[in-house]
Amino acid sequence: MDERKVRWGFLIDLRKCIGCQTCEVTCKMENGVHLGVWRSWVKKVEKGAYPRTTRGFLPLLCNNCEKPICVTVCPVNANQQRPDGIVTFNPHRCVGCRYCMASCPYEVRYLHPLKRIVEKCNWCHHRIDAGLRPACVEACPTGARVFGNLMDPDSEIRRLMAQHHVSVLQPEMGTQPQVYYIDYDEEVFATKRPFRWKWR
Amino acid sequence: MDAGVTKLLYDVHHQTTFAWLISIYFYFTGLSAGSFVVSTMSYGFGMKMYKPISRIAVITATMCLMIAPIALLMQVGWPIRSIWNHFAYLNFHSPMTYGAFLLVGYPVVCIFYALYMFRDNARMTKLLGSIGIPTAIATHGYTGFILAFGKARAYWNTALMPTLFLVSAIVSGLALMVLIVMIIFRFIKQERRVPADIVEGLAKILAWAIVVDLFLTFCDIAVLSISHEGAQEMAWLVLGGGFTPLFVGVENLIGKVLPMIVCFVPALRRNHLALAIACALVVIGIFFMRYVTVFGGQVLPLM
Repeated sequence: MDERKVRWGFLIDLRKCIGCQTCEVTCKMENGVHLGVWRSWVKKVEKGAYPRTTRGFLPLLCNNCEKPICVTVCPVNANQQRPDGIVTFNPHRCVGCRYCMASCPYEVRYLHPLKRIVEKCNWCHHRIDAGLRPACVEACPTGARVFGNLMDPDSEIRRLMAQHHVSVLQPEMGTQPQVYYIDYDEEVFATKRPFRWKWR
Repeated sequence: MDAGVTKLLYDVHHQTTFAWLISIYFYFTGLSAGSFVVSTMSYGFGMKMYKPISRIAVITATMCLMIAPIALLMQVGWPIRSIWNHFAYLNFHSPMTYGAFLLVGYPVVCIFYALYMFRDNARMTKLLGSIGIPTAIATHGYTGFILAFGKARAYWNTALMPTLFLVSAIVSGLALMVLIVMIIFRFIKQERRVPADIVEGLAKILAWAIVVDLFLTFCDIAVLSISHEGAQEMAWLVLGGGFTPLFVGVENLIGKVLPMIVCFVPALRRNHLALAIACALVVIGIFFMRYVTVFGGQVLPLM
């Protein structure tokens, strides 16, 4: 039995997501994410043909897994898991070997183009520690993103998870991801960019 | 997924993580481990006929190991910081931590082993050779563990990977040694004559090593092709997709099957020009094995 008081979790209600990418822009502003890389983004997929057609959105961000593979493989302990579950990166210790990028099943890590270290979404832990919510949760115009304590039975995230079917991405990887989705569409996830051959 | 039903409008892809430089690094550690095995044949395993090439082999092993970490340090973002941090902050769950120690320890063993060999100190040479063999195997085997621990990638995440890497290291090292021995004895040494028994003996061992390598590759791909969805996509990529020319053509047909035939057929093996070409093909083919494994293993998008 988990004895922790706090385990942060993230819930995205895809019924409310309108694909406006406000979360993407807010994240860039809050964390100073470099040009050309993203910590959080919205995958957009068009489904069907003309009369019967729709768009599917899948906001993606770091899952801050319960069993993070990036923490296991980091040779210099730059990635560490806090007691409340958030996986942090240490910019002063990372050597830019990119092993964590290669092993992350969610491809949410990126190499900072100038600093040459690997960064990722950390659920704005500087804001959480100050008692605020993550920037993308704060900015979401439809309230699709919910952030809260999974150990607290009265929290909004626990209440929503108790009332709805929730899914996580790639549970078969065994990392126990902690970003939950309501109304998750497998087809949107399975539509991937085509493979292009590049000699590099 | 059927492209006519769904269409991707927007997604983010950052970069392909490991590419040429890591392939070169794996390739040279493999060559080094293979050459080291050849150099210990006479001292460690008692095959006295290979004594004349032990010195050439140990020099090759040391030289290859000097090139390998250069490629590695060019790959990492902070080379100087990485040298310090790998020893200052240890994470014993990561294979790369052990690699840092091996990459420092193995050259030292190599250099002292060479030193005693050149001084004709048989006892110390044998001692250091028996220390060096596990070190050489570990130095290359850990690279297989690095890939096997990248569990998101179906092509890497197999228990076969360290063994596959070791066998292909021995294959490439043997082929490189045959090639170098031929060049040195033909063009540099006084007698201007290739020692036929040594070269053909190595070729016979090479042929059997290639058989093992082909068998392991077959096991890997066969299991991959009926495993989960990502694994099947990967098997399709190397057997009938973008990587087929490199994987089937260069790596397996030109790099393994053709040289294996040359090494097995006595008439072809005695033709030293054919043997030299076969060994050059093996050395090229194993490079593409590294490239297909490292780069091909991660080109398929996961998200």
